[in-house]
Amino acid sequence: MSLLTIKNLSARVEEKDILKGFNLTVNPGEVHAIMGPNGSGKSTLASVLAGNESYEVTGGEVDFDGKDLLDMAPEERAREGLFLAFQYPVEIPGVSNVNFMKAAVTEVRKHRGLEPLVAKDFLAYMKEKKELVELDGKLAGRSVNEGFSGGEKKRNEIFQMAMLDPKLGILDETDSGLDIDALRIVANGVNKLKSKDKAFIVITHYQRLLDYIVPDFVHVLYDGKIVRSGTKELALELEEKGYDWIKEELTEA
Amino acid sequence: MSEAMTTSILSELVSGAKSANSFKGIRSEAEGFLADSRIPSKKHEDWKYTNIKRLFDNGLNLVSANDITFNSVDGVEVYWSTNEELVGSTAIHSKEAHAALNTSLFEKALVIRVKKGAQVNEELILQQVIKLNDGEFSATRVLIVVEDNASLKCQHHYSGSPQNSSLLNNLTEVFVGQNARLELNYVQEIGEGNLMTTTEVECQRDSNFTTNCVQLYGSLLRNNVNIRLKGENVETHLNGFYMLNGKELFDNHTLVDHLVPHCESNEIYRGILAGKSTGVFNGRVFVHRDAQKTNGYQSNNNILLSDDATMNSKPELEIYADDVRCSHGSTTGQLDEDAVFYLRARGLDEFGATALLLTAFAGDVLKAISSEILRSELEDKIQNKLKEMRA
Repeated sequence: MSLLTIKNLSARVEEKDILKGFNLTVNPGEVHAIMGPNGSGKSTLASVLAGNESYEVTGGEVDFDGKDLLDMAPEERAREGLFLAFQYPVEIPGVSNVNFMKAAVTEVRKHRGLEPLVAKDFLAYMKEKKELVELDGKLAGRSVNEGFSGGEKKRNEIFQMAMLDPKLGILDETDSGLDIDALRIVANGVNKLKSKDKAFIVITHYQRLLDYIVPDFVHVLYDGKIVRSGTKELALELEEKGYDWIKEELTEA
Repeated sequence: MSEAMTTSILSELVSGAKSANSFKGIRSEAEGFLADSRIPSKKHEDWKYTNIKRLFDNGLNLVSANDITFNSVDGVEVYWSTNEELVGSTAIHSKEAHAALNTSLFEKALVIRVKKGAQVNEELILQQVIKLNDGEFSATRVLIVVEDNASLKCQHHYSGSPQNSSLLNNLTEVFVGQNARLELNYVQEIGEGNLMTTTEVECQRDSNFTTNCVQLYGSLLRNNVNIRLKGENVETHLNGFYMLNGKELFDNHTLVDHLVPHCESNEIYRGILAGKSTGVFNGRVFVHRDAQKTNGYQSNNNILLSDDATMNSKPELEIYADDVRCSHGSTTGQLDEDAVFYLRARGLDEFGATALLLTAFAGDVLKAISSEILRSELEDKIQNKLKEMRA
C-alpha cells in the first residue's frame, strides 16, 4: 500500500491559485525529488501537506497511510508521522531546543501509546540523534534556532526529524544556501534515516543535493502540477539545460 | 494650617477619616498636600487610563485592616510601629495624592529591618489577605530597611477576595544601605478588588536592588515603583509581568531617578492581555545632569490575545547628562503565528504551542526571581490563567 497518495490537489494563497491539480504517489522506502523553477508551487505543496492554515485547499484529496491527511490538524499530521523540514526554520526566543524536543517527543510517543522517556533516557536518545547530524552539543541548550547560522538551522531541522522518527520526511529546499560541508552533513543525516518503511520527498531547486541523496524518482513541478517525471537522469538534464526547454515544450504542445 | 480644613478635605475623600495620634509630623505635611490637591481624575496625565477616582465618588469608608502576616526569619526584625523614625522620609518625595492619603491615614507601620552585615538567605514572606467589603477603604504601610552590607529577599503577596468597590492602598518605603542587597517580589492576585500600591526606594552606594511584580488578578491594580539612586555604583533591576483577562485593568508606573554617576538600571515589563482588558505601562528613566556614566535600559513588550484588549505603553527617557548609555523600547503585537505553526508541525497542540511561547515570554521576567519555589508557583499560576484566557 502506498504511504502517500495525492490526487488532483489544488490550493491557493491570498486569492492566488498555486497548485492546480497535483498528483503524486509515494511508497514506503522511496525517495522522490521535486524540482521546478521559482514560483512553480514547490513550497506551497510542502506547506499544504504540513497543514499551514495560510494556504487554502480548493480541491483534491490526500491519503496518508490510510487516513485523510487534509482532515487533520498540523499536530495530528506530525504525530501520525509526517515531518516537514522548513525552508525557513522559525526562531523561538526563550524556548530551549531541549525543552522543545522533550515536549514534541512526548506528544508523538503519547500518540503511539508510549510513556514519556525519563530524563536520562531522553538525554541519551538526544545525544545519539545529535551525533547523526553532527550538531554541536551547545546548540541543544540554546533557544530554538535563535542566532543559529543558516547551516545550523538546517541541521537542526534534520536533528528534529531524527528525534521524531517520522514515516514521511519532506525537505523543503533544505539545501538552499548551504556550503558543501553543511550539505554533506544534512544529506548524510537523511541517508542514515532511510529505511524500507520510510519515505522522503526532497524539494529542491538544485541538482547538487541529489548527488548526495539519490532519488528514486524526479518530478518537475511547473505552474502547479507535475509536468514530467523520470529518474535521477532527469535531474542532470535539468541542471544542464535549465527549465526553459520544459516550458518551451509545454507551450508548443 | 487649620485642623478643620485638612479634616474636611480628608472627610470629603474618605468618610470616618481621622489620622491616628502618631507620626504627627509627616501626617500634617501629607494633609497639607491633600488640602491643595485632589485625588486625580482621568484628566491627569498619570491617570489618563486608570480611573480610581470613581471609587471615591461613590463614597469610601475608612476601616482598619492591618492584616499582614509574616514568617519568622533568622536575622530579620519584623514589628509594628507607631514611632519609627524613618517612616515617611522617602514617601516625602512622592508628590502624589494617593501616597499622601496613605501617609495621613495608615494606623501603624510594619517595620522590617536587617542589621548591618547580616546576610539573610531565607525568604521573608508577607501575606496580605484583603477582606474589604463594598465601599471600604484601608491604608497599610510597610518600611523595609536593609542596613549597610546586609542582604534580604522579601516577598509581599496580596491575595483575598475583596469586594468590587473597595480599595486597598499600600505604601512601602525601602532603604537599601551601602553595599547592601535587596530582592523585593510582589505577587498581586486579589480577585475582583482594587489595589493601589506604591513603593518608594532609596539606594545608597554600591547597593543592589531588584524588584519583580507579577500581577495576575484584580479589577484594578495600580502599581507605582519609584527608585532613587542616591549613591554611586548602584545596580537596580525592576521587572514586571502581568496577565489580564475579562475587564481587568492593570497599570504600572515606574520612575528610576539617576541622581549620581556610575549607576545602572535595567527594566523589563511584559504582559499578556486577553478579553476586553486594558493594560497601562508608563516607565520613566530620569538621568540628572550629574549622573554621568549612567547605564539605563528599559523595555516593555506586550502580546494581545484578543482584538478587544488594549495596551497603553509609554516609555520615557529624560537625559540631562551627556555621557550615558540609555535605551528604551516598547512593542505590542500578536502572538507570532509562524512560531505557533512551527511548534504544531512538531506535534504540540495549539494550546501547548501557545503556552510554551507565552511561558518563554514570561521567562525573561521570572528568571530574575531567585526563589525556585516562588518561580515554580508562579509558573503554575500562569498556566492556569492561560487556560482561563483560552476559555
